[in-house]
Amino acid sequence: MAVAQWVKTLTFYEILVGMKATITVLIDRIVLRKRKAVTLQYPHEKRALPGTYRGMIALLKYDDDTEKCVGCDLCEAACPSRVITVISSEVEGEPMKRYAKEYYMDMTRCLFCGLCVQACPVDALAMTTEYEWAKYNKRDLRLNKEQLLALGDRNFPVREKKLEFQHPNVAYFNIGHKNLPPKES
Amino acid sequence: MEMLVFAGAAVVKITVVMGVVLLTVAFLTLAERKVLSWMQDRMGPMEVGPYGTLQPIADGIKLFFKEDIIPAGANRFLFSLAPILSLVPAFIGFAVVPYGPNREIELFGVTIKPFIITDINIGILYILAFASIGAYGVILGGWASNNKYSLLGGLRSAAQVISYELNIGLAIIGVLILSGSLSMVTIAEKQAGGFWHWNLIGGLQIVAFVVYLISAVAETNRLPFDLPEAESELVAGWMTEYSGMRFAFFFMAEYANMILVSCIASVLFLGGYNAPYPGTLLPDKLSWIEGVAWFTVKVYAFLFLFFWLRATLPRLRYDQLMRFGWKVMLPLALGNIVITSIVVYFVRR
Repeated sequence: MAVAQWVKTLTFYEILVGMKATITVLIDRIVLRKRKAVTLQYPHEKRALPGTYRGMIALLKYDDDTEKCVGCDLCEAACPSRVITVISSEVEGEPMKRYAKEYYMDMTRCLFCGLCVQACPVDALAMTTEYEWAKYNKRDLRLNKEQLLALGDRNFPVREKKLEFQHPNVAYFNIGHKNLPPKES
Repeated sequence: MEMLVFAGAAVVKITVVMGVVLLTVAFLTLAERKVLSWMQDRMGPMEVGPYGTLQPIADGIKLFFKEDIIPAGANRFLFSLAPILSLVPAFIGFAVVPYGPNREIELFGVTIKPFIITDINIGILYILAFASIGAYGVILGGWASNNKYSLLGGLRSAAQVISYELNIGLAIIGVLILSGSLSMVTIAEKQAGGFWHWNLIGGLQIVAFVVYLISAVAETNRLPFDLPEAESELVAGWMTEYSGMRFAFFFMAEYANMILVSCIASVLFLGGYNAPYPGTLLPDKLSWIEGVAWFTVKVYAFLFLFFWLRATLPRLRYDQLMRFGWKVMLPLALGNIVITSIVVYFVRR
């Protein structure tokens, strides 16, 4: 036993085993062509992103080109990084209905947790699969409402239908949402 | 006239050798990255040129145009001197390495040896002496940077180089006993006539060869003995404060040292330019091509071994390095000298 150990030490057995492992990988890669690099040459080839990818956040519209956002500020409240600033305002002549007069997202602080999307009662926010948003000026990453709506238009060309029974003067919530909390009975 | 021809021939030889060495240094950096990436399921550089083959040129241009920073607290003179002190000894050693057969050609009445810049009779001592000066570059660079990481890297390098240079010196003594000469040319010539005449096999210098190889890796500060540079502990060791061309000097010195050490290993243990079979395949006029080719193959095999070791082994701890150097390698090298001397004494009689 001790002799075998000595022989192993003297012949650098363990180092040779390790060197065999590395050279096997090289031969498989270069000579036998059995292995492939795990590298993805990023700017030239890109990963297929899952549908649930949490990229840039976008504001959505209904199919009649009206904004979904009702200016409720819940996203601002939900945001852990204080990314969102909503300046809510009444719709002119319709005192029951509100909308976001101004809507800002400071994407430099965003951690893409998706809490704002969950918090939105009318599904006005969505997460896109866009991620190549490197900018030379960080102020370019403070997005206003137009930019966020453009993001939504670009990534979600199929818009949700505005439901018939929604009275224009009544604040409504997204009834179509599948995961409503159970009502207290 | 004779003086002029002699000087001209020397200048030509130096230019060719320096050109080849610098080119090899440049493309070794690429080769290392490629080999490492192939062993690690990666791709390595792929952007500059086809399959990244022009990467060394891009690296060179980048380093050349980078800002040259000297830290405020640094000793300016030593800080500037250190990279030169590191680079020059690395390149100067190539002067005594025989690249091909020991031919002599007559040119305007002057005898010229085309495959060695100069054949001095203490060639191997000369290389060892200059290799030690290279350590000064590392130590001074580490001290002059006025940075704790640099200083630690420099001190580690000092300790490492001293302990492992001793082993290199003792390991090659067996070879010197066998060939009875310190001249690189004579050592290579004595090993002619097939691989069974090489010092590694015919001279039974296997222990010395292993000791030399391990010490050479340690001497060039390569993994697994890259303690002076230890990225995870010392940022970049003695190179932490260096940038631009000064950093490039250290970098080139490291790779030039690798080539030099590989050249010495192939000359001392693997017969240098001698083919592993007796004589040459090509006719006598062209046999030098074969010699140079074999030398190149041997040197590149050693260089590949350097990359291979780097891809395989993790870094040693400092006490392990010292223990291994003094308690394992030194006795082995000394034992090799004793046994070789006894064998040579009885065989020669």
